[in-house]
Amino acid sequence: MALRVQRFPSASPSAAIAARAVAIVLALVTAGLLLAAAGAQPIRLGQQVLRSTFSGFGIEDVGLLVTPLILTGLSVAVALRIGAWNIGAEGQFYAGAFAATGIALFVPGPGVVMLPAMFVAGALGGLIWIMVPTLARAYADVSELITTLLLNFVATLLVYYVSTGPWLDPGGHALATTARLKHDVPEFFGLVHWGFPIAVLLAVTLAVAFSFTHWGYEVRIAGSNAQAAKYAGMPFRRHLIVVMLLSGAIAGIAGMLEVAGTVHRLQGGISNNFGYLGIMVAVLARGSCIGVLAGAALMAVILNSGIVLQTQGVNTSTVLAITGLILFFTAIGDELAHFKITRSQPA
Amino acid sequence: MSDLRHLSRRRFLNLGAAAGSSLLLPSGLIHPARAATPLPAVAEQDAVIAFGHTGPVTDEGWTWSHDQGMKAVKAAFPKLKTLFVESIPYSADATRTFRQFVSENACMVFATSNYGDFLYDVAKRSPKVAFFECDGRNPLDNLGTYYVAHWYPTYVTGVAAGLMSKSGKLGYVASFPVPSVFSGTNAFLMGARSVNPNATMQVITINSWFDPQAATQAGTALLDNGCDLLFGIMDEAGYLQVAEKRGAKAVMWNTDIRRYGPKAYISSIIVDFKAYYVDQVKKRLEGTWTPSTTILPMGGGIDRDAWGESVPEEVRKQADAVREKILGGWSPFVGEIKDGKGNVKVAAGHHMSEQELYNWDWPIAGISGL
Amino acid sequence: MPNATERTGPAPGTPPLVQLKGIAKYFPGVVANQDVDLEVRPGEIHALLGENGAGKSTLMNILTGIYQPDAGEIIIDGYLKTFASPIEAIAAGIGMVHQHFKLVRAFTVAENIHLGWSETPRIISPQALEARTAELSASLNLAVRPDARVDELSTGEQQRVEILRVLARHARVLILDEPTAVLTPSEARELFRALKQFVAGGNAVIFISHKLDEVLEISDRITVLRGGRRVATEKTSTCNEKMLAKLMVGHEIVLDDLRACGTKPVAQSGEPVVRLRDVTVHDDRGHTVLNRISLEVAPGEILGIAGVAGNGQKELSETLTGMRSIAAGQLMLGGQDFSAAGPADFAKFGVGHIPEDRLRSGLAPALSITDNAVIREYDRASISIGPWYRPRAALALARTIAHAASVRVPNFAMPVRNLSGGNQQRFVARREMRIASKLLVAAYPSRGLDVGAINTMMRYFVELRDAGVGIVVISEELEELLNLSDRIAVMFHGEVMGVMDTASADIEQIGLMMGGQGTAAPSRMGAMVH
Repeated sequence: MALRVQRFPSASPSAAIAARAVAIVLALVTAGLLLAAAGAQPIRLGQQVLRSTFSGFGIEDVGLLVTPLILTGLSVAVALRIGAWNIGAEGQFYAGAFAATGIALFVPGPGVVMLPAMFVAGALGGLIWIMVPTLARAYADVSELITTLLLNFVATLLVYYVSTGPWLDPGGHALATTARLKHDVPEFFGLVHWGFPIAVLLAVTLAVAFSFTHWGYEVRIAGSNAQAAKYAGMPFRRHLIVVMLLSGAIAGIAGMLEVAGTVHRLQGGISNNFGYLGIMVAVLARGSCIGVLAGAALMAVILNSGIVLQTQGVNTSTVLAITGLILFFTAIGDELAHFKITRSQPA
Repeated sequence: MSDLRHLSRRRFLNLGAAAGSSLLLPSGLIHPARAATPLPAVAEQDAVIAFGHTGPVTDEGWTWSHDQGMKAVKAAFPKLKTLFVESIPYSADATRTFRQFVSENACMVFATSNYGDFLYDVAKRSPKVAFFECDGRNPLDNLGTYYVAHWYPTYVTGVAAGLMSKSGKLGYVASFPVPSVFSGTNAFLMGARSVNPNATMQVITINSWFDPQAATQAGTALLDNGCDLLFGIMDEAGYLQVAEKRGAKAVMWNTDIRRYGPKAYISSIIVDFKAYYVDQVKKRLEGTWTPSTTILPMGGGIDRDAWGESVPEEVRKQADAVREKILGGWSPFVGEIKDGKGNVKVAAGHHMSEQELYNWDWPIAGISGL
Repeated sequence: MPNATERTGPAPGTPPLVQLKGIAKYFPGVVANQDVDLEVRPGEIHALLGENGAGKSTLMNILTGIYQPDAGEIIIDGYLKTFASPIEAIAAGIGMVHQHFKLVRAFTVAENIHLGWSETPRIISPQALEARTAELSASLNLAVRPDARVDELSTGEQQRVEILRVLARHARVLILDEPTAVLTPSEARELFRALKQFVAGGNAVIFISHKLDEVLEISDRITVLRGGRRVATEKTSTCNEKMLAKLMVGHEIVLDDLRACGTKPVAQSGEPVVRLRDVTVHDDRGHTVLNRISLEVAPGEILGIAGVAGNGQKELSETLTGMRSIAAGQLMLGGQDFSAAGPADFAKFGVGHIPEDRLRSGLAPALSITDNAVIREYDRASISIGPWYRPRAALALARTIAHAASVRVPNFAMPVRNLSGGNQQRFVARREMRIASKLLVAAYPSRGLDVGAINTMMRYFVELRDAGVGIVVISEELEELLNLSDRIAVMFHGEVMGVMDTASADIEQIGLMMGGQGTAAPSRMGAMVH
């Protein structure tokens, strides 16, 4: 009887989850060791992080962080379903925030009408921002990777322009911003704003749509193998366009909720890199919409811990490094989950 | 490096003493405390004082100056605990950082830049904590604001600039179109025009307070456009180095950074928050703290730096005479003042108040690019 | 220039450059080579002839060290050798130019020549590299442009670079796999001239092809492989096309004759299930790949499509299933015009499609077996209610298909790529048979399968035929088509050279038509003669 390690083509779900958990723990332990080597006290820092995370402010902060992360993560994950990489969630986030702010600043009306209008405007803003990359990919086979990425810079500068120029609030801040929006997304059970339940609901709805509708099935096939979709007579191009536009709209909604729910003013840097972090969330979730909820929660806790660590004198870059470590260990864990130790009789 | 810094600091303090100013703040510039009951006293060993900075404390500029303030507090009250976070973005992350200060039982939170709503959201929900917003305009029951009357030393250096610029074309590297920038550009150009009525100013905004690369590019572009003297409101020395390389002159902000461009260096608008911070912390510990709106005057937290080596004796004399006049109560900010479109914005004979100067939000005639 | 007949054999006593003795190579379920002897003498161009799957590539992969033989000996210059890797084969002077060039397209010719070569200096300027290349090019008499990027070159020029690359490494035996498939006639003539010069220096060329005319023109001797075995080695001067075609295709019938078995339905009413009238089709770059094709398939009939791969068969299968749109002509299904319809319409009408490359187009390899099982029926009532997709019903259907295809599936959530090739093929075939109520189009259905699996596949087709479904089978295996189909159409250069009843078909005639020399289209003969 001999023991040998064998790689299986697919990992069992329980092994995959276990590998993830071990990976995250190992990443945190490694980070702790590195912090200790740098002269910090990782145990005390860990306690501080836990205490702060589960204080009233901590939970609210995680909630506020998790909302845009769910949405940008969904945006990237949805595009991945059709085999497209939306690197532009950042830009679409800005575009959504920009459109919603435009409505809020220049269209009078009661909140009950204006908030839904801002929501729609945010979605449309994100959608329009991904329109050109979508059509370029669908009709000219131009890589969406580059086009969506480049439009991020355009969106960032556009928001800088309007918030320091035409829409500038003369009130005066260190960073030029627009005036405070008249309408706030209402609070949700006194904890976070309604963006959080909306994001969760959107994730669940999309998960259901992908698993239990024709459309979801067709998108799954088309995203996995465009040739096979063509073979089965599925409208690949139409699905590509719809899904990519949906991806942009979701990132736009994230922008709208951030400006109307959390920041209340449009300003440069409002995205806080949520668009880019969404890529990490989607990769952690392996493109699953429900997985995005877990990925976003993990990322939110990490980011929030980062702020706690900073007040303890730990550098921002260290926090980024910890995030990277978690991704790195997770990738290794995902691969190791394919291996099993089997017993074989010597032939 | 630190030697130089101490040297210049000492020189600055000497200069302040020579001008007859003390660490006591002229009462005229401090608005009466709001009608709030003072927050209760805190024992020194229980006190946690938190600082939220916009840049890195190593910036040799704005944030470094505030960090010096924190160190002065620590020296005055060695038992209390200090916390600080650098490079806080102007985003919801700022709110999270200030909340974290509260979670860590800070009894005073200094935001060394204008974080606006991001700070107010936290202040409103933490009534037992004293908050401070530098360059703030929106005092609350537990939030005071403080700033410096930088327009006076800026006017003084503007006079020197007007005398030293050959082309009369001044350049300005701006962060954002906000009041600090408007009062800076306006005061500088008014100072220059007092000696060279044809002086003009071109402004480039770079959307950051700390971005050495962008500041360097902006400085280069301004010199390319014919400017021969640069001013700005940057937390670092980027455009000074450009001026040095190109043989132009520069007036800086925050600290003495002449070693980055000894020939180009004219002076700097130097800030010093040490006395203010120690004073405020003392009040908070004693249980007498109430929020106030404070603008530190020239000689009491803000001043020009000692003149650079290339500033001729003649220029120094003429500019310092203006400085003496201002310390003696004279103000150069009197109407009539027109904006770029020719509208009279300050009527003839009107003396602009400190509040008006603080909230200046339009560029005067002769300024382009803002 | 020396003529083939003028060249004499090597001096007596000179050992052959290459001698293979009793080579055998087995893959699971497949005998790729068995008892193959091959002798290549200095100064000779030796042609290796055979249908696809006859074992030519495996044999050459053994000679170039890519595979190790399961039995037999490799003797180079009289010495017994074993090649553990291609590097050792190259060191022994054996070089191969593959059908698909292995050049780095973004590099220059000089860079490609020197890439991965032990004689390339470690530090060298581009100019020096180009000078070295120019020198090589002159000494080996192969004109190339050293500074040109490979992707700027014509196919013929790229081939010259490949050959130069091999010869620069001091190859004495040059193996060329289907070298003229990608060349224009004038480029081919140039190549032949270079090859003759090369062997005149005492070297040898192994020339793999299935084009009879060029083999007769260029080679000194010919070895024919069939079914992994050597069936003949002859002097070219004693060969002719008819004889070679017969050797290649063979007389023996390995498979059962399926035409007669089953209960053939009585001839259906006159309406064919599919009718193509003067159909012209372009490929993605706009080149004509099907030229005025007219074909009909009756219900309960199997039409075989013969031809060398790459003569429009793939496009024909795509046209018949609605995947490729028609540029001109008309396509009728059961009397209705489907010229402008898409693949979903074809499927709905009852057209099943077993595509040429199952993993690339018939399946989504990374998705589960269940997802792949329902790709044809997901929107039918069995799987769906309204817009809703029912995963459980999909799983049930996947079980049904797997059962019918005798594929044992431990876990239906596992990616379909984990199934073996044979299982994938049976799975796809059964899935397509479910919807093929009128017509089944199968492209190369036996490719990659062992004999047992091929027989199963053929039985499926007979089963469907007996149910009155029209079937189009595209294959390179003539035997298979002769055994299975009622009629055979031969394709060459996007045209149908002729259609004949299998009962009265002449194998030699088919072989000739596959080479473009069919009597059915005499006008094309002139174009093919170099």
